Amino acid sequence: MDTKWNSTDKEREYYAAPLKDGRPGGGRVKGPAGFLAFFLGVTLVLSGLGNLGNRIAWERDPSPWWEWDWQETDAFRDEAARYLREFLTIGAGGTVDFYDSAYWAEYGGDVSVVQEAEAYRSWWGFYPFTEAVVVDRGSAEQGTVFSESDPGKPKEDRDPDEAYRNDKNVLYYIRTGEVKDGKIYSNMGSGLDKLLARSVEGYNFYLQFVDGKVSIFKDGQSLDVYGNGLYTGESQWFVPGYDNFPVSKDLEGVKVVMAVRREPQRYYGIDYKDGGTYYSSAFYNIARQVEASRSFYKTQGLLLGAGLACLILWFLLRRSAETVSRKIASWTLHVWTEARVLLVAICAVWAFLPGFLSLDSVYDLLNGYYWEWDGGYSFSGWGMAALRLATMNLSGALAFFWLCWLIHNDHKHNPKEGRWSLLGGLFRALRARDLKRPVEKRLSRRTALIILAVFLLAAEILSLLINLTVAGYPSWLLWTVYLLPVLLAAGALSLFQLCQRGLARDLGRLAGQVEAVRAGDLETPLELPEDTDLRQTAESLNDIQSGMRAALAEQTRSERMKVELVSNVSHDLKTPLTSILSYAELLRQEDLPPAAADYAKIIDEKAQRLKTMVEDVFEVSRAAADQLPVRLERLDLGKLLRQTLADMDGPIQQSALAFKVELPEEPVMITADGKRLYRVFQNLIDNALRYALEGSRVYLSLKTAEGTAEASVRNTSRSELPEGVDFTARFVRGDASRTDGGSGLGLSIAKSFTEACGGSFRVETLADLFTAVVTFPAVE
Amino acid sequence: MNECILVVDDDPEIVNAIAITLEREGWQVRKAYDGLQALDACLDPAVKLILIDVMMPRLDGLSALLRIRERRNLPVIVLSAKSEDTDKILGLSMGADDYVTKPYNPQELIARVRSQLRRYTSLGDVNAEGRRGLILNGRLSYDPAGRVLRADGEEVKLTPTEMKILDLLIRHPGQIFPAEEIYRRVWNEDAFSCENTVMVHIRRIREKIELNPKEPDYIKVVWGIGYKMEQH
Repeated sequence: MDTKWNSTDKEREYYAAPLKDGRPGGGRVKGPAGFLAFFLGVTLVLSGLGNLGNRIAWERDPSPWWEWDWQETDAFRDEAARYLREFLTIGAGGTVDFYDSAYWAEYGGDVSVVQEAEAYRSWWGFYPFTEAVVVDRGSAEQGTVFSESDPGKPKEDRDPDEAYRNDKNVLYYIRTGEVKDGKIYSNMGSGLDKLLARSVEGYNFYLQFVDGKVSIFKDGQSLDVYGNGLYTGESQWFVPGYDNFPVSKDLEGVKVVMAVRREPQRYYGIDYKDGGTYYSSAFYNIARQVEASRSFYKTQGLLLGAGLACLILWFLLRRSAETVSRKIASWTLHVWTEARVLLVAICAVWAFLPGFLSLDSVYDLLNGYYWEWDGGYSFSGWGMAALRLATMNLSGALAFFWLCWLIHNDHKHNPKEGRWSLLGGLFRALRARDLKRPVEKRLSRRTALIILAVFLLAAEILSLLINLTVAGYPSWLLWTVYLLPVLLAAGALSLFQLCQRGLARDLGRLAGQVEAVRAGDLETPLELPEDTDLRQTAESLNDIQSGMRAALAEQTRSERMKVELVSNVSHDLKTPLTSILSYAELLRQEDLPPAAADYAKIIDEKAQRLKTMVEDVFEVSRAAADQLPVRLERLDLGKLLRQTLADMDGPIQQSALAFKVELPEEPVMITADGKRLYRVFQNLIDNALRYALEGSRVYLSLKTAEGTAEASVRNTSRSELPEGVDFTARFVRGDASRTDGGSGLGLSIAKSFTEACGGSFRVETLADLFTAVVTFPAVE
Repeated sequence: MNECILVVDDDPEIVNAIAITLEREGWQVRKAYDGLQALDACLDPAVKLILIDVMMPRLDGLSALLRIRERRNLPVIVLSAKSEDTDKILGLSMGADDYVTKPYNPQELIARVRSQLRRYTSLGDVNAEGRRGLILNGRLSYDPAGRVLRADGEEVKLTPTEMKILDLLIRHPGQIFPAEEIYRRVWNEDAFSCENTVMVHIRRIREKIELNPKEPDYIKVVWGIGYKMEQH
């Protein structure tokens, strides 16, 4: 065998391979990597966003997220103001005890003023962050612990500022007013002047109360305390000195200077007198809280960034990642629908039920209310409430998301028909069993089911009524009101069923008739009684039936006429042709001048060709009218090809073509009409002999694959093959000038004969390469 | 060879052409142009063979054939433009001795006429030959003992290989022999791609015994299966 074609084929395969696969060899690594990036990216971004949302929704931060200075927080302001209140209490001559923050009780000043300010504040001890403090209160070792020198000392004998004497984060200087002789209290022994000069090392926040006004210095800068002079409660300093929060007379002459440490320390004050309770620095907690919040935002920012990076990676690899999604879809395909619903439900309960329970009612959610930590409801809007719900259990929400993604992925890649549900399967099985019954039985069964249901309902109501009567509710009205309609309905339904039975029977007959018509019975009409519902339909069906009968008769007649016409035309053409041929032959036998002898020869040749064409036209026409008689039998296609080649050995040897034949040794059995199939291959070889390029090779091969036998004849055309031409159409030739000896029917006959034998025939052209392929189903 | 041949066709030119062809071969010709004329003409005892067309006015060829058969026992060759197998089978079963399709090949027509006349006139006593242990098949008669094949009474010269193949086929008319089996039996060797070899010999045999080797009547190819001898 010449290897030329093989190599060409291989080349084409080689070039075709990358197109098929996209990026060869890349899918194995890129797919999983891309999918992993997708998974990580989505998970990280979602958990980052969830954490942030959670924090925002639950208001866990002591200050807005962009405020990173703990001394700028509301909590700090409140605490500093509280300190000032206590110091003012001391300055006014009162005593401050541990926890004794309700200073107006000791202070005894103008209560109404305080209460006016109170109107803007709901609660004195307002700590919006208490629950979120990340401070380990139990491990006292971490902080400085100290105790009172004399726990037994009565309250009256103690210094008024004893509770603050050991404060590690606040330095203070208190000078009482004129009434109290201008006494000075301070927790700073030496260096008091430094405090007054606001330059103690490590302390950057100074608050001083002089002449009834508060001034505050932070990092050497003076802060605006009073604004426009009116206290409104919004992020303002809760200190006396506003126009609507004036200083009490008791504070005349009182001077307080306090300083707060830049980096607050942890310490514990223990009051043994009150049973060993302790009290730690609030400033330290505030600072720690802000710090914690800061690190939280950093972490979340990092997570989000990593997640986004992963998503970008996924976007680049998304094509390859799709293969993994497809693979996953092929696994999830086998999960029953019920299992999916159950999984989603369980996951939803796990993820969102805690959130729901945290609300007092769904009503709260729907109206955007939620429980505030300060003990009241607050309206935050729908969005915030939903955010709280969604971020309550983040891992649950994530699992829920991925579950939904899996289902979406499954629905995207798998056809709807592929899904399998237990209920659906059961329903289908029942339905399939049901469909085997005739249609009238099915209808009756359905109505019977409804009637059964109604009777069961009636029985149920009856038993209920009996029970009620026995229990002592003898109400005849009840009986009539409930039982009568049900009984009426049951009665009506039974009547309906009786009527339906006739209809169902007629419907069954109608269905049977339709089936009979389909099976080819065009003679017997369907007779239904005059007064039935389906009479009209039956008559219409009868009309269709007779119409079909007429059409079929007409078609048969026209088919027969067509064949007869072809046959007659063929006969009428052949009769004069016979004369022409006969006389041409006689003429050739005459002793003619050389020129006349040539003419006679030409007439004879052309008449011979006409004869061939008439015969071909006749056969093609018969094949087109499906009137080609075939005698199918089992035969060996390989043997048939060998016989054909042997039969045509003469012309093949005479031609300037080399035949390369590749036939399998073992028999290739097919079912066909041998004579017709011989004509097919005779025509194909004839075609090759007639049109192949001189000196070229003709390849005849037979291959079996997947239950088909495929014989092909390939040759290189002598003339250029026009593109887009159906060579198997009648009278079509590769050579447009039509001067060759062919009738233009060879391939058409080959195609019709192949198809009449149950095979398929096709022609492929590639540049000058002409290939005819005959395919038959192989028989065992 | 002065037998008279009756040529019947509704087309006078065809009748004329056939007449010329036959007369050149030395036969006498009577002409008729429809079935009824043919019925009259066939009563002439000089007529020894009839060539008759099928589609003719007044009385068609096949009906005429039936009526001729009632009056005369002589060979009839049907000449028709209908070339389908069913037409041929119909014609032969109505009593025709041979069937030639139009447009005919003059040489083949002459050969068929000659063959029929020979069998009718020279080999009148065919049954007697059958009793002598000859195998008879249409115009062929084969003597298995002497290995002599005659076609229309004339001996056909076959090479030993051709004779072996013919012997195998003519002893089992109708039976299909794959090329491998023919090869094995004739050459006594195992067959290996023998299709061409067998076909070459069969083609040569055909050229010697068939009237038209391109459309053989006796040794036929059963496509995709093998070869067989048709029983006539």
